[in-house]
Amino acid sequence: MTQMLDCDHVMRQLWDYLDEELTADRMEAIREHLTICKRCHPHAEFERSFLRALAKARREHSNPARVAHRVRSALVARGYSPA
Amino acid sequence: MIGTPRDDERFEREALRWLPDLTRFAVSLTRSEVEAEDLVQSTFLIALERWNQYVPGTECRAWLFTLCRNHFFRANERAKRSVATEAPELEALAAAAIHAAARRDGLEDSFERREVLDAVDAAIASLPVAFREVALLVDVHDHSYVSASAVMGVPIGTVRSRLFRARRLLQEKLLIHARDAGIGTRADNTAPRETLS
Repeated sequence: MTQMLDCDHVMRQLWDYLDEELTADRMEAIREHLTICKRCHPHAEFERSFLRALAKARREHSNPARVAHRVRSALVARGYSPA
Repeated sequence: MIGTPRDDERFEREALRWLPDLTRFAVSLTRSEVEAEDLVQSTFLIALERWNQYVPGTECRAWLFTLCRNHFFRANERAKRSVATEAPELEALAAAAIHAAARRDGLEDSFERREVLDAVDAAIASLPVAFREVALLVDVHDHSYVSASAVMGVPIGTVRSRLFRARRLLQEKLLIHARDAGIGTRADNTAPRETLS
C-alpha cells in the first residue's frame, strides 16, 4: 500500500516526479494521487506539455558525417590507432 | 597510470560512440555549427590526451560532456559564477502559480502551439549561463540529475535548484511570447488555432 500524499507534497515534488528522480514508492504514491486529484492532474499535464516542448529544442548538426570525419582525422594526426 | 599504453580500441568503443550526442550538445551550447565542430574536435582531442585518466566503468558520456562544457566555458571566458536560487520546492510551487495564471488567461495549451514551440530555442539561449546549461543537459539532452551534477561539477541539490529556476524562467518567457502572439482569451483571437498533434 502506498503512502497517501496531499496536494502540497505533490506540488513540491512534481518536477522530481516528472523527471523520474524519486524512489519507486514515492513515484507510485504521486502517480496514484494524480489519477484521482482534479487539482493536481491538470497541473501535471501542463508541466508535461512544457517538458515536451523543451525536448523538441534538441538540434541536429546538418552534416554529422563531416563532423565525425573531421574528428577522426584530427585524432589520427595525434597518433590515434584503434585497429 | 603514467606509462600505461593508451588503449585506443577502448577509446573507439566507449568514447567515440558518443560523438553524435556530443555534436548535438555542442550545437545547442554554441548555437553555431562551425563553432560546434571546433568544440567537438577539441573535446575529443582532450579526451584522447586524458584517456588514461578516465575510470573504466564510470559514465563515459558524462565525462565527455564535462570536458566539452569546461572547454566551452574556458574558451568563452564565461567562468561559472554563483547564482542566486530559491529552494527547489519553492520553485516547484511557483510553477503551480504560473499554471494557475496560464489557465485563467486561456494559455493552458500554449506549449503545444507552433508559435510557442518556435520560440523555445531562443528562450533557452536567453537564459543566464548557469540556468541555460542545466536546462540543456536535463531537458534537451536527457541527462539525469546525477549525470548533470557530474558534468557541471556541482552537487545534485544545485542541479535541482538551477533546473527548477530555469524552468520557471522559461515558462514565464514562453507565456509572455504566447500572449504577444495572440494566444489566449484576453487577446483578439478569432483565427482558428493550429494545434500540433
